[in-house]
Amino acid sequence: MTDLIVIGSGPAGLAGAIAAAGTGLRVTVVDEFIRPGGRLLGQLHQEPSGEWWNGIKEAEKLQHEAHALGINIRCGVSVYNIETAEAGWKVYTNEGVLEAPFVLIATGAAEYPIPVPGWTLPGVMSIGAAQVMTNVHRVQAGRKGIIIGANILAFAILNELQLAGIKVDRVVLPEKNAVSRQAGEPEAVIRSLLNAAHLAPSALLRFGSRLMKNETIRNIGTRFYPKNGLKINGTPLQLRKAAVEIIGTEQVEGVRTVDIDAYGHVIPGTDRLYEADFVCIAGGLYPLAELAAVAGCPFEYIPELGGHVPRHSETMATPLPGLFVAGNITGIESGKVAMAQGTAAGLSIAKQAGKQAAASGRQLEQAIEHVRTIRQQVAIQFHPDIELGRSQMNEQWKAHEGTSVQPGEKIG
Amino acid sequence: MIENKQLIICRCEEVTYEQLQSTARQHTCSARELKLRTRAGMGFCGGRTCRIALDAIMDSFIPDENKAVIPLKYQPPIRPVSFGTVGGRHD
Amino acid sequence: MTRIIDHAILGKLDSLKKVSFQFNGKSYEAYEHETVAAALLANGIRQLRVHEESGTPRGIYCNIGHCMECRVTVNHQPNVRACLTKVEEGMTIESGRRHPTPLKKTEGLQ
Repeated sequence: MTDLIVIGSGPAGLAGAIAAAGTGLRVTVVDEFIRPGGRLLGQLHQEPSGEWWNGIKEAEKLQHEAHALGINIRCGVSVYNIETAEAGWKVYTNEGVLEAPFVLIATGAAEYPIPVPGWTLPGVMSIGAAQVMTNVHRVQAGRKGIIIGANILAFAILNELQLAGIKVDRVVLPEKNAVSRQAGEPEAVIRSLLNAAHLAPSALLRFGSRLMKNETIRNIGTRFYPKNGLKINGTPLQLRKAAVEIIGTEQVEGVRTVDIDAYGHVIPGTDRLYEADFVCIAGGLYPLAELAAVAGCPFEYIPELGGHVPRHSETMATPLPGLFVAGNITGIESGKVAMAQGTAAGLSIAKQAGKQAAASGRQLEQAIEHVRTIRQQVAIQFHPDIELGRSQMNEQWKAHEGTSVQPGEKIG
Repeated sequence: MIENKQLIICRCEEVTYEQLQSTARQHTCSARELKLRTRAGMGFCGGRTCRIALDAIMDSFIPDENKAVIPLKYQPPIRPVSFGTVGGRHD
Repeated sequence: MTRIIDHAILGKLDSLKKVSFQFNGKSYEAYEHETVAAALLANGIRQLRVHEESGTPRGIYCNIGHCMECRVTVNHQPNVRACLTKVEEGMTIESGRRHPTPLKKTEGLQ
């Protein structure tokens, strides 16, 4: 018998499992990947304190803690459906149907695709794919790469590729279109990078924060942004170049670019071809919420959180009884925030399940407070207005509270 | 945007931006109808790669007022499974 | 492609047992516990299949099981994600092939 099924063994899922199991609940964790850790695996950056954040080590710590608590972690298990059952939820997997009164969906995020002509060629991959290949599998994505898209995720992974000795030839923008939108506008890209500059873990993003404080100077900064770009550990960041086509027959051979103005308009006659044997597309992240949708959970559209997010409370409950969410499915944030949210979710579930320790103490309140504290401290923040996004979700939750099914009635 | 004909949006079914645009123009269709006519997002991965791009493109053709509703429905199975698995056979 | 043996922060790659496997009839070496996708890339192979209809080459895209682009046939089981499957001694892997489309009109004949 299992009291709680956790879907996803990333920072949120494992922390949730650990918190719940710590109160005596029997927990099963399922994950599609070959080992637990989710997107902790692959994370590697230097904190402002100078300390290294090694996601693989963090994942191992959580895994050991989970095993010590008797949590059953099952890798290589894909969940394809979720339905209400007589007492809780049925979770359908490629290895059979699991049933439990409580489910925590911690499926994390997926990458926002930016289609570029030629992006189906072997050697073109999402930037996350290159991260996993490099830091988890320890195989070089290629000899010489080009990154299309300039955002926090791209810079974090650029840094990781450089650490592994992989040459990244340049970072360029995607061509501005209906999909890339602001990611194809140098002006907007600079603004978003500057918003994040004070939080960035590496010096690369602090490059211009002093110079480009106000709008006028920022505009001049974009217009006069050097053609060859500013260098990040040797890799030019070319915000005034856009990738128009990825070239190759059997696999990637290069990227054709054009120069663009501050608003992403193409400057005619500026075609260039740059050789490369791999290309990373960096479109950013959005919450991977398909299971919550299949379960029938209501959603809210909050761009600051990354798009469509299942409606949830600060206790990580959804309007559906027994169904909880934590981590990037609730909004794109750092792995540390995901972990704190997971702990809150695990305690919240324990409280509903009537576990004395969680119900009587102030543990849950403290866990929720801890999420806020961590959010303010983290080195990597994906959206500058994350706090606004979070408070919008809380307002939505309160606005609907009376109409939703109250969780906690079906504890058995 | 240049060379829309070459810009594949849905990788699984090789549906291009140009096909989506001309189908939307010709049939003045909803997001759902555009998906059914072109098969964009209906290939092997079930739209798991291109769905968000498709949403953005469809929104650029026909801006949707009610953003809280997910434009295209999610349906199980959300991961490819064999008929045997769905039928309850797990060997 | 080169393996990252020595990493400034992550340290030295653990010495792992080598296993051999077959891809499209040719033998290759892999490290135990690594994925089929990683093993093939380490052997310099990027193309895992072709698009069933158009025959365009495809390789890994997302590397975490979402995009299905890396699907291959493993020990006669089709549509297995190379990025989520651990390679095993003696495994036979086949890449996908182009399917015939006899009923499809070709462009220009409409």
